[in-house]
Amino acid sequence: MASKRRNILKVGAILLLAGLLTAGGIMYFMFHMPHRNVGITSADFSMTAAQLVSEYIENPTSANEKYLSADGDSKILAITGAVADITEDYNNQKVVLLKAEGDKAGVSCVFTAETNGQVTNLSPGETITIKGVIRAGASYDEDLDMYLNAVIEKSSVLTTQTN
Amino acid sequence: MKRTGITILLAVITLAISAYTLPSGKLVSNKTHIRFFSTTAVEDIEANNYASVSTIDPATGAVVFSVPMQSFEFEKALMQQHFNNDKFLDTKVHPNAKLIGRITNTDQINFSKDGTYNANIEGDLTIKGETNSIKEKGSITVKGNVITVESKFNITLADYGVTFVKGKPASNIAKVVEVTVIAEYKSE
Repeated sequence: MASKRRNILKVGAILLLAGLLTAGGIMYFMFHMPHRNVGITSADFSMTAAQLVSEYIENPTSANEKYLSADGDSKILAITGAVADITEDYNNQKVVLLKAEGDKAGVSCVFTAETNGQVTNLSPGETITIKGVIRAGASYDEDLDMYLNAVIEKSSVLTTQTN
Repeated sequence: MKRTGITILLAVITLAISAYTLPSGKLVSNKTHIRFFSTTAVEDIEANNYASVSTIDPATGAVVFSVPMQSFEFEKALMQQHFNNDKFLDTKVHPNAKLIGRITNTDQINFSKDGTYNANIEGDLTIKGETNSIKEKGSITVKGNVITVESKFNITLADYGVTFVKGKPASNIAKVVEVTVIAEYKSE
């Protein structure tokens, strides 16, 4: 009888230890959870820069509902447009503005240290498709008295063969 | 006949002079860096945003900043998710923060002359739908046609509806965070 009790205690201890290790592992993973890799994730939507801009200007509330996520991992968009401008931000990331002449606003695509090299051979006027995560939509800002471009980050240039 | 000739001559001279005067139009910045920093005994948290847009009207001193909240990047993905969710900054519902202010000492700042000037800025800061008036200092550096504005100030999170009483957020996030802004402007 005593050995049976000892066995139960043994099993209990092992289960408890396994439980603690699992819980610890989950907590550790969550704390050190990596950011979503936008570069290897397929786009949720594809459209032209003009289409995204007009969708936002027409109804910003429904556009935000459709494209933004509450946890910040918002939708990944593949945007096709003409290169209007190439600049660099304070984080040494290249920023490609996709906007056709005459459009009120465009889509500002921010690249990363890893994808900056994809921008070097781009020239103004060229039509390309860029994939990235949306951070903000396009709008007319009354206080700034100007149109704001939509902002896409973690960008990479899509070649015709890939997603 | 003579009078018409003189009038036309004067008109031409006026046009010629106006063509050579410097435009005193709006300054626009698409190159910005906003950093917020929180320090507690438990840990330091930092987030960086490089996507804000701003304008300054040198004539009136009016300053506006529009900040896309989902552009704030944290080192830890979990922190970034918490920052965005509805218990914290609720960025899906409030995707932009806004500063509408004015440089109150424009008489001490010459936007056309190279140099560094102290600036006093007053205005309304709106985050997560809550607006509070702020009164801060900054510096404006003019170098040719590039104007750089820098400022560092504190924000009390509770003023913007961001509160937490217990648990990890209460111990790991400071009640007052430090905000650092740098923006580079060019003529429109």
